Amino acid sequence: MPGIAEYLIIGAILFALGLVGFLSRRNLIVIFLSTEVMFQGVVINAVAFARLHHHIDGQAFALFQLVIAAVEAGLALGMVVLLYRRRGSLDAEAWSLMRG
Amino acid sequence: MTPTTAYLLYSIFAIGGVGIYLLLPKAGKPQTLAGAVIGVLSVAGLLAVLAARVILPDATTAYFYLFATIAVLAAARVITHPKPVYCALYFVLVVIAVAALLVLQRAEFLAVALIMIYAGAILVTYLFVIMLAHQGGSPVYDRRSREPLLAVLAGFLLMAAVAGRAEDLPQPASPPTVAVPTADAQDAASQQRDSNTSAIGTAVMTKYVVALEIAGVLLLVAMVGAIAMSRKKVAVERFAAPPKPIGQAGREVEPY
Repeated sequence: MPGIAEYLIIGAILFALGLVGFLSRRNLIVIFLSTEVMFQGVVINAVAFARLHHHIDGQAFALFQLVIAAVEAGLALGMVVLLYRRRGSLDAEAWSLMRG
Repeated sequence: MTPTTAYLLYSIFAIGGVGIYLLLPKAGKPQTLAGAVIGVLSVAGLLAVLAARVILPDATTAYFYLFATIAVLAAARVITHPKPVYCALYFVLVVIAVAALLVLQRAEFLAVALIMIYAGAILVTYLFVIMLAHQGGSPVYDRRSREPLLAVLAGFLLMAAVAGRAEDLPQPASPPTVAVPTADAQDAASQQRDSNTSAIGTAVMTKYVVALEIAGVLLLVAMVGAIAMSRKKVAVERFAAPPKPIGQAGREVEPY
């Protein structure tokens, strides 16, 4: 039976992979997919801590986290569609005018 | 965690970072094969380190390593695949593997909710937007990533900082038995304690009822906001000024 550390390491790996994708990809949709990968890592962590403390709070927290993920996906994809209609491109570099 | 194990883990994470770096889309000849081989090697090393800690592997342990491998490899493909549609499909694989890991931790309701919400609703939205914004061929921003070396370094630093401390946590006091109880024992157990679903329902409806209401309002606000944004008329700037090279953008005004 794997203990708590194995689950935490898997969650951390998923979070770090999502971070790398978020920092390096240029397609706006793939950037938001990377944040969803980070969400998966956090869900694993929350459930692992719920098991560690024999308490349901971690799982309830993960449930609310799913709500936040749904809200984030809806709003972010709405903005992506808006940006795409404006520039005709999904490139994040097309919106780098604010860079000094 | 002994220092030897920590340094072993760090070196494995470094090898994995090299593999991810090779797999990220860049200029020049693609090094997919080398990246894939190095990535599989690092995952195998990580699994060996984790498996060496388990003295008696049972069915749960085997399932854990199976689904953990699937989750990590699919997540690596999500961030390295040049086509967004395949990224989204690999993300479905990540969601399913994570749901299996949640089942192994006795979080059955969350596992079902994860598959329903992510694989059922969110992924359909993503695929819809990908199809809506599809451009012919493979655009350059999917084939070249931005600063892959620095991104991999940031991920490696995060992993090294987090995973070195994970071992210091206490183990669960009495690990819950998932290992295939008999039917009689399962019936007795289900009569003794509440199921996972009713426990979560009780907690959400009593202790977290205010948070539940706020979550409902948040969903409503997001829905109104998304509708308002998508109905907005925007000026198309597609044929406006040509894009400036990097470093020149935003420097139209003479400095003081």
